[in-house]
Amino acid sequence: MRVWLEFALTLAGFFLVILSIASVWIPKALGWKEKLVVLTPLMREMWWTYSLYVWGSHVFFAVLTLGFRDWILSATPAATAMTGFILLWWTVRLYLQFFGFDLTELEDTRLNRVAKHLLTLLFLSLVLIFGLALWWNLGGLR
Amino acid sequence: MTLDILFLFRLVGLAMVGLLLANFIAAKRLSYAQNLAQSDLLVRQIFYVHCGYIMLLIAGLGFLCLGWPHLLLEGAMGRVVCYFFGVFWASRVVVQLTYYDPERRREERGWDLFFLVLFATIAIIFFIGGSITR
Repeated sequence: MRVWLEFALTLAGFFLVILSIASVWIPKALGWKEKLVVLTPLMREMWWTYSLYVWGSHVFFAVLTLGFRDWILSATPAATAMTGFILLWWTVRLYLQFFGFDLTELEDTRLNRVAKHLLTLLFLSLVLIFGLALWWNLGGLR
Repeated sequence: MTLDILFLFRLVGLAMVGLLLANFIAAKRLSYAQNLAQSDLLVRQIFYVHCGYIMLLIAGLGFLCLGWPHLLLEGAMGRVVCYFFGVFWASRVVVQLTYYDPERRREERGWDLFFLVLFATIAIIFFIGGSITR
């Protein structure tokens, strides 16, 4: 089972890398720059700062998942806490994908529909993989 | 040294609790709701979601620093987490100095200096933690 989990974590790491790279295009694709003009300068600055730090966190998760797989599955209290935290992060994001964001303002193009479904799949797989990793760290799956 | 750094991590934990509370105060003081009212719905939602995630990260870090600071000193992972948060808070200093509007910072000089010193101190503590991790 551990071998499968290690493979799944590698996959999750690549998904996170893809997400981090794709995120660079999101501001352009969604026209953030134009849409943020109505905000005050301070709110605009905070907007970009928050976005950058959330992106940085995704990069950090990618580094952890690809570079420290053994540690993530080490079943230590620290590893359990970290997998629990990452699971919480992506579970919230998955919830928001279905019940949080109102995407009706987005243009209904084929590309946008495909991107939305791919993102949903990506979040689902991250929740599943980190859920399994947490379960493993808690003593399950052995 | 170990005892001292554990104490410093706990202080960082307290600072995280303070920052968490400050986020709620900032939302009211800077009138997030009114400022975002003219923007598109998606812009509003993304702002609140990102704000929420930053708070989640700060809460998680605060929880770790207050409850289990010794975990930050254990092994390669402790070192990586320390250095990540060292860079995280050091970059926050850089953002404040180079990106935030100088005029606005001058208007709020007291808070500007307070947060600069706070973020720099937190960054230094994490860099020290990372350098002494076993």
